[in-house]
Amino acid sequence: MERPHNSVVRTPINSVVVQRRSKNKSYRQSYRSCLGAASRLGLTPALTARRLNSSRRAPKSHNITEKVNPEHLALLMKMEWKLSYVTPLYQFKHTQLKSYSRQLSAFIAAEKQQGLAVEVEGSQSAFRVSFSVVHGMMATEDDAETVLIQINSKPLFAGQDEPQRSVWSGWLTCINGNSDYLHSLPTDFICLPLFGSSGPEVLTSLVKSWFQQMFDCCFGPLEISHTSLQWLVALWTNCHTESSIQHLKMIWTLPVVPPLQITYTVNPQDAWELWSSVRKDPQEQSKGGDAVEEGGNIDIEEVTRFMQGLKSHFYRHFRLDLSAGSLKQVSTALGSAKYNGRVKISNSRYMITTLTLLTECALLKMPV
Amino acid sequence: MDESTRRLLQRLLRRIPAQLLRSTVDKWGRLSVAQWQSVDFTQPKWALTEKLLAICEENEWTAKHITELEMIYVIDNPNQGMWYAFQLMDPEDDAHSVELTQFKEQFKSHLSELVRHVSVKIKKHTDEAVWIRIAWGDSYSRPNHLNPTYVVHHLQTPYVFVTNLTSKQKPLLSQALVLSTRHHAIKDANLSGRKLTAIRDLLMRQYQHVFPTKYPSPLAEINQTASNPRIEREQAGPGANRLQMACEAFGDGMLPQLQSAVYKLETKFRDHTNKTMTERAEPFKCVVKFASTNLLESLRHCASSGIASTPVTPLLSSIPVKGRNYFVITDNGPSPSSQMHESHN
Repeated sequence: MERPHNSVVRTPINSVVVQRRSKNKSYRQSYRSCLGAASRLGLTPALTARRLNSSRRAPKSHNITEKVNPEHLALLMKMEWKLSYVTPLYQFKHTQLKSYSRQLSAFIAAEKQQGLAVEVEGSQSAFRVSFSVVHGMMATEDDAETVLIQINSKPLFAGQDEPQRSVWSGWLTCINGNSDYLHSLPTDFICLPLFGSSGPEVLTSLVKSWFQQMFDCCFGPLEISHTSLQWLVALWTNCHTESSIQHLKMIWTLPVVPPLQITYTVNPQDAWELWSSVRKDPQEQSKGGDAVEEGGNIDIEEVTRFMQGLKSHFYRHFRLDLSAGSLKQVSTALGSAKYNGRVKISNSRYMITTLTLLTECALLKMPV
Repeated sequence: MDESTRRLLQRLLRRIPAQLLRSTVDKWGRLSVAQWQSVDFTQPKWALTEKLLAICEENEWTAKHITELEMIYVIDNPNQGMWYAFQLMDPEDDAHSVELTQFKEQFKSHLSELVRHVSVKIKKHTDEAVWIRIAWGDSYSRPNHLNPTYVVHHLQTPYVFVTNLTSKQKPLLSQALVLSTRHHAIKDANLSGRKLTAIRDLLMRQYQHVFPTKYPSPLAEINQTASNPRIEREQAGPGANRLQMACEAFGDGMLPQLQSAVYKLETKFRDHTNKTMTERAEPFKCVVKFASTNLLESLRHCASSGIASTPVTPLLSSIPVKGRNYFVITDNGPSPSSQMHESHN
């Protein structure tokens, strides 16, 4: 990122409203709240309410280990996934997965013949693709079932009994998607906005081109904005009593020459106590008249206060304002998330919560 | 020449980059004129290795000769691996008069007493540093030359820099050092880094630490962004102040290339807007790590650009002032103010 090297550094424009605890109060407005409720492009007036939720249900541990195939679950938790958003797929049918597997294998073979370099760690024989449905991950009835794509191949001189090795995996999912949006789609479209991939970039782009050709959709990179990263910090810390987060680690980078990276690791119990101290009084919450469940809702203000507490403790010691930098990575024992769109989910119980947030990010980033 | 010597030479030649091979072997000076002329240093590395191995056979070199070559290479290229700084404490009365031959004899004899099989090589470098190479063995096996420890000590200073030392070897080395330098104890200086030159300069304060009294203007940039002259005028004064305070804290000009600093904080959480946490008795435990290709420059830029408030907090300025990069910070003393004291561990 280009930054002018004069003695005054501009603060990043994508920060949320932050209140500095210093004599000269300065407020920075977030880009989205300046625009109000309109979506970023303002092209779809029917879908006005699409902005990042300012209030979320507190994450509850979903015991999905019983509902989901353990092999699928193990695969989902093993890798670090690179995220993209996908526009709705035209005439994608969950019943046609076998046919899709064959078609994608043929596509990859054809591309290889045409001379596209698809070498993956030593010569491989033909790639075999398998599409499968991951049952048990739907959070609401509107969500489409998650689809898992695996590309296996055999090394060139392997015997007949040698098992196929997985060289690439990916998945498409929609968890707790915005129901207004999902209902507004025409009937032939299926919305699976979140795409995760792990493996050689060549195969990822082949899979994406095939999807684009077959289903008239569009892929794009999904970055996890620092607001979402802060949400993850709060949501994960909230789970500490049920499932220890073991540590809360945040990595910031500061725009100085040479760039400075700050890793701020907080003891989990202390993080939890700070988090519970910024939570709103549950009695206040129920004044709205709705029945509030145990734990209730989490508001963006609570998240902001939590982050502010962490930053002010840091400031007290180092007199260095972390808001001048960008939050690049957060991680706990439940998973890790990076600004460049890489995510790892290490605990199956909170997978649904994390994926809900990421689905929302994907839906928001989609241009349609 | 036995197999282990061959392997040692092969490993060493693999380690030395091709462009440095010629100068290093030249410095070593063990090749005869005829042999030196017969080596073509423009050949690819593997061919050179074969040639040198052949010469090695011819001359019947032993591990002793090869470790000489290794030492020459390491002394000229010390910025590899991880170096840790130690400080000798409580000198005896005659500690200041320890000179080289005495130190060498004493160190070798003490270490040999402690470790049955050990190979020690001591060399004095031109800049007053004494380099020690130690290949460790034990009661049952000969010294292992493939994984030596290197120690650098400047006589008449209490500082020792060590790389590649295991926790088992540490007490033995400490004992030998303490006895041969006539001190009573040795402690961890809480300073580590990849570049020996950087941590040595930092600790022994050999870098330029000038305190300018006046700075004419912030440094000029190559690509001037179109900036508002009013802003420039307004910011010129504060900008100059920040730059001056930044340089006072960290130094002027080239700074030693430290890569990281770690702070272990165990202080109470204090925030007037958060009563619950402020009233908490236990400390808020966290660890902060700063990392950069040149940490001191980054911190100096933080201070001069206003990201870090000036005057620079003693926590950060302790890095160059105290010459350490590992700190444990606790609340000491009953004072309720936000004073922080370091606890020496």
